[in-house]
Amino acid sequence: MSGTSRRALEIDGISKRYGETVAVRDLTFEVRAGELFGFVGRNGAGKTTTMRIVLGVLAPDAGAVRWLGAPLTFEARRRIGYMPEERGLYPRMQVAEQLAYLGELHGMPDADAQEAALGWLDRFGLADRRATDLQALSLGNQQRVQLAAALVFGPDVLVLDEPFVGLDPVAVDVMADVLRERADAGVPVIFSSHELDLVERLCDRVGIIDHGRMVACGTVAELRAGGRERRWIDSPAPAADWGAGLPGVRLVETDGSRRLFELEPGVDDQALLQAALAAGPVRAFERMEPTLGELFRAVIGETEA
Amino acid sequence: MNARSAGPAGTGGLPTTFLVARREVRLRLRSRVFVGGTIVMTGLVVIGIVVASVLAGRTTPVLVGFAGGSQALERTFAASAAALGANVTTSDVADVAAGRAQVTAGTLDVLVTGSATAPTAVAKSAIASNVESALSLAAEAARLAHAGLSPAAITSAMAMVPVQLLQPRDPKDTQNVLASLALGIVLWIALGQYGNMVAQGVVEEKATRIMEILLATIEPSRLLAGKVIGIGLVGLLQLTIVGAAALITVHLTGLGAIPALGVASVVADILWFLIGFLFYATAYSAVASLVSRQEEVQSAIAPIAILQIAGYLLVYAALPNPTGTLATVCSVLPPFAPILMAVRMAATDVPLWQVGLAVALTLASIVGLIWLAGRIYANAALRLGSRVRFMDAFRG
Repeated sequence: MSGTSRRALEIDGISKRYGETVAVRDLTFEVRAGELFGFVGRNGAGKTTTMRIVLGVLAPDAGAVRWLGAPLTFEARRRIGYMPEERGLYPRMQVAEQLAYLGELHGMPDADAQEAALGWLDRFGLADRRATDLQALSLGNQQRVQLAAALVFGPDVLVLDEPFVGLDPVAVDVMADVLRERADAGVPVIFSSHELDLVERLCDRVGIIDHGRMVACGTVAELRAGGRERRWIDSPAPAADWGAGLPGVRLVETDGSRRLFELEPGVDDQALLQAALAAGPVRAFERMEPTLGELFRAVIGETEA
Repeated sequence: MNARSAGPAGTGGLPTTFLVARREVRLRLRSRVFVGGTIVMTGLVVIGIVVASVLAGRTTPVLVGFAGGSQALERTFAASAAALGANVTTSDVADVAAGRAQVTAGTLDVLVTGSATAPTAVAKSAIASNVESALSLAAEAARLAHAGLSPAAITSAMAMVPVQLLQPRDPKDTQNVLASLALGIVLWIALGQYGNMVAQGVVEEKATRIMEILLATIEPSRLLAGKVIGIGLVGLLQLTIVGAAALITVHLTGLGAIPALGVASVVADILWFLIGFLFYATAYSAVASLVSRQEEVQSAIAPIAILQIAGYLLVYAALPNPTGTLATVCSVLPPFAPILMAVRMAATDVPLWQVGLAVALTLASIVGLIWLAGRIYANAALRLGSRVRFMDAFRG
């Protein structure tokens, strides 16, 4: 029953420039319903600009954002839960009252909004602070309230700019659970983060943006498929040039008797193993999955070159 | 009863403008600023009226002491003083030296010594002219009596020239002007205070960065309208409380005869607050939306604040002659009308067409201002950081 309307948030060819600076150029990707999408990139790569365009607080110079196959209207945007890069709530307003107010602004009836506000405060462990002014909370707790503000009205789409910054490990776990839960409920979730381990563990798909362009997009496994294979070899043989002599093989790292090699595409790892065996005993030969962090550096490095 | 079509919320919630206004009212009514401000303002107004009523009901009598032969003048002096409108209290002083000491000490205003036909008045630094005249008349009557004139002849000889006033000054006029000034000052303070609140509120949302969350769910015009309406209602409530307290005090102290303190005048003052608030709050919100930090608010709103202060100074220029050209012209011009027309209406009878013109011009300029402020605000609201130039915000 997909039909023409796709349950996906589609970012279609958006561009935005500030004067001479191009923030985002012809950026296209989509976040599907039920999917956790990690948006990574260096500072100033265009993540925040993209998210602000999705929310309509910034108008793109070109391109469009669609939800359910139709361009995002103001009414549809009001159903997006948003956590901006620059955090902001009323400092001198009680926490529960503030969340309920935001819930109502997003169209909830009074009673529902109050119930939802208390529910989310409870979920984030702030039930006993409901009548506290926001400014009296610690920064970490203010951050939790900010997340609750994005979630309180049961959004159709979640757009979160750096939601994990400033959270303690417990809050990170709660937040990760909540995002997974929302995604499982059919909500497309996009969040940006510099914590690549977390993104790798949590996300269904990842988009890497650099200089306003999407340079890689897909599951972590798909991103790996394009990257270079790596092998750990543990051999007590004294450092010899057996590895480096092979065509298409490069020594990346040495850790005691362990060495990490990178293979160019198409290079047979068995040739490397045989070369190692010829030089001495091999205690371990291990295929290394590159982490997202390594993939990220590789992709960014390529575009820099 | 489909809420879906009733409000812009679209999912059963209340209209967003209403929600914003309700938040402003709720939070501000709870604030110490409102509670304390209302108590202080009400207290000052009530005390002012009570003091005014006490002052209006009493003029301090001039204490005149007579020593020696001059004591024969006491009765005629008192009669002459009454005829001249001087409020005097006479007394006998046994000893001239003691009397002088009393004058020096301030317990006696005037000491009269010498004989009835040639008295001398001793005062500390000055003597009221009507008291002096009354004394001269009394001495002259004494001299005429000494010359042998009958009391009837004396009365006829000393009859005062009757004066006919074509436009007699009502003693209440001065009080009325003062009361009008007081109304103007209260109105001016309220307009400044609540205009400032709107400016601070606009900048608060930029400074705390909540603007981005708000504008992702509500149109700028609705957010601005809700804020202005909410704060305006709070101001209206405060002025109504102060006004009601003032009217009750006026009633109790019997100052109700002063037109500027009548119900019609106080109600007109509150209505002019509403019109003036809409004018100034809209203007303040536009210029305030150009800055992102609380420290910059005062410099941003300075151009509007100066207009408001000019209106206040014009009150002093206009009150001595509330029907003059300056007062009449300035009181229909929008930036000054809310204060000046309110004061003129309290001080004098303003022709209805002038009131109508002032209201019409001010309302028309409010419509224009709302358009302008909406445009500036929508374009500047999300430009955080450095101050946005007015023309940049206007062009968008």
